[in-house]
Amino acid sequence: MATMKFMCDTKRCIECNGCVVACKNENETALEWGIQRRRVVTINDGQPGEASISVACMHCDDAPCMKVCPANVFSKTEDGIVLHDKDRCIGCGYCLYACPFGAPQFPKKSAFGGKGKMDKCTFCAGGPNTEAGSAEEKAKYGANRIAEGKLPMCAELCATKALLAGDAGMVSDIYRERVVGRGHPAAGWEK
Amino acid sequence: MTFKALQPLALLAALLFSGFALANGGEIAPQAGNPTEMVWQAAQQGVEGYTTSQSEFHPQLINSYDLQMLDWRNDWLSYGLFAALFGMIVVFIAFTVVNGPSKLSKGFSGKMVNRWSKADVAIHWLGAIPCMLLILSGLVLLSGKVLIEPALGTGAFAGMASAAKLIHDYMAIPFMIGWLLMSVKWAKNQIPAKYDLDWFMVVGGYINFGPFKGKHPHSGFANAGEKMWFWTLVLFGAVLSVTGTILLFPNLVEPSRALSLTVLLVHAGAAIVICAFAIVHIFMTTVLSEGAMECMVSGYCDENWAIQHHDLWYDEIKANGTLKYMEK
Repeated sequence: MATMKFMCDTKRCIECNGCVVACKNENETALEWGIQRRRVVTINDGQPGEASISVACMHCDDAPCMKVCPANVFSKTEDGIVLHDKDRCIGCGYCLYACPFGAPQFPKKSAFGGKGKMDKCTFCAGGPNTEAGSAEEKAKYGANRIAEGKLPMCAELCATKALLAGDAGMVSDIYRERVVGRGHPAAGWEK
Repeated sequence: MTFKALQPLALLAALLFSGFALANGGEIAPQAGNPTEMVWQAAQQGVEGYTTSQSEFHPQLINSYDLQMLDWRNDWLSYGLFAALFGMIVVFIAFTVVNGPSKLSKGFSGKMVNRWSKADVAIHWLGAIPCMLLILSGLVLLSGKVLIEPALGTGAFAGMASAAKLIHDYMAIPFMIGWLLMSVKWAKNQIPAKYDLDWFMVVGGYINFGPFKGKHPHSGFANAGEKMWFWTLVLFGAVLSVTGTILLFPNLVEPSRALSLTVLLVHAGAAIVICAFAIVHIFMTTVLSEGAMECMVSGYCDENWAIQHHDLWYDEIKANGTLKYMEK
């Protein structure tokens, strides 16, 4: 059994926003106007120490959204992917407050429950209570590449392979190899 | 093997959490570490960068806060509200079974004395009906996922949750108006007085056995128990109204995410207090104190009820001529 994780290698990310476009395109059936499940944040833009990181739902082990949700919208697959059930979402916005990564988004921003149904990255694994690959799943949650044995589109299309997706062990193996290749003494185990 | 493979991630996680600890502790010591470490430190401290996304909070990489808040809410406040509601009901049923209702010692006189104006009755129910609905819908929203879903199943709970959200949002407004009007209009009758201490000494005179049996403490327009409930409602109603407004109108208030979460916990805590008092209040008027409910139905109370429970007030209105009987 895998534990699915994203990881973004800041040494490789060039802020091309290819992952954002790939995600938008792959999941566009489910995305209302203005929602993007993935974003690239650049810190120290144009200055020494500039670094870009691609961010979406991190599919946390102890997901705060899952803890705070009053309607039990969230569930975790056996691969550690955090999925949301759009039928059960009541649009309270608590997950938006609890998520440290700003992953949950709402189509509307008005008061009195006008937020609509929450949307976030599904690790391209569709949603709960829908048949994998069905039109219903596509309309509600977007792609289900995991069911087809594929990884999320954002990572698959990353031109520099900065964004890695997959089993945590494999992702960290790849990253460790890179760190060794970059000549870091003790392969990142010491400062 | 797997553990070894996970170690770099564990290291990152450790870095992340040390970042939380440091962020809570205030300043982070500048570190001349490698550039990747610098990026992580900046992210943990909540650095904002440039992004093409227009979505809320998206320029910030990581929003750090005390994650324990979520456990406090789930492990304590959820059960607390449930206990405040059903626990108080059980306690009061047990008390009523043992003690019996507090009867009027001279029975009903049939003469009704004016106690509340029509406006008073109206603002009472303007606050009270939404208050009851808010308690019930709030129970679904706070405790439902841990107590109602396991008991009633997912289908029933999902429907209840979405209904509760709507009820809670819309009932908030009349409750706040009712709360404000009651707080302002009634405060002058609720100032604590010396005889309130005596009221506490005999537990209000509602006990039908033991040394307190048959005692009727002095009381003005409001007795000490009513004053306690009034000021609790004023104070915690204010907390609920302010925190509720922040949660209800994030587009106007624009709170930070950490503030919204804090407010969520404070809201639940204040709701537990109001809920417990509200149950007592409802039980006192409907079951325990004979003749009390009539006050908030017609605005009039029985003359014997006024003499037994609010003697000082009765003497006062009788003396200054403001005593008004119901016209037959």
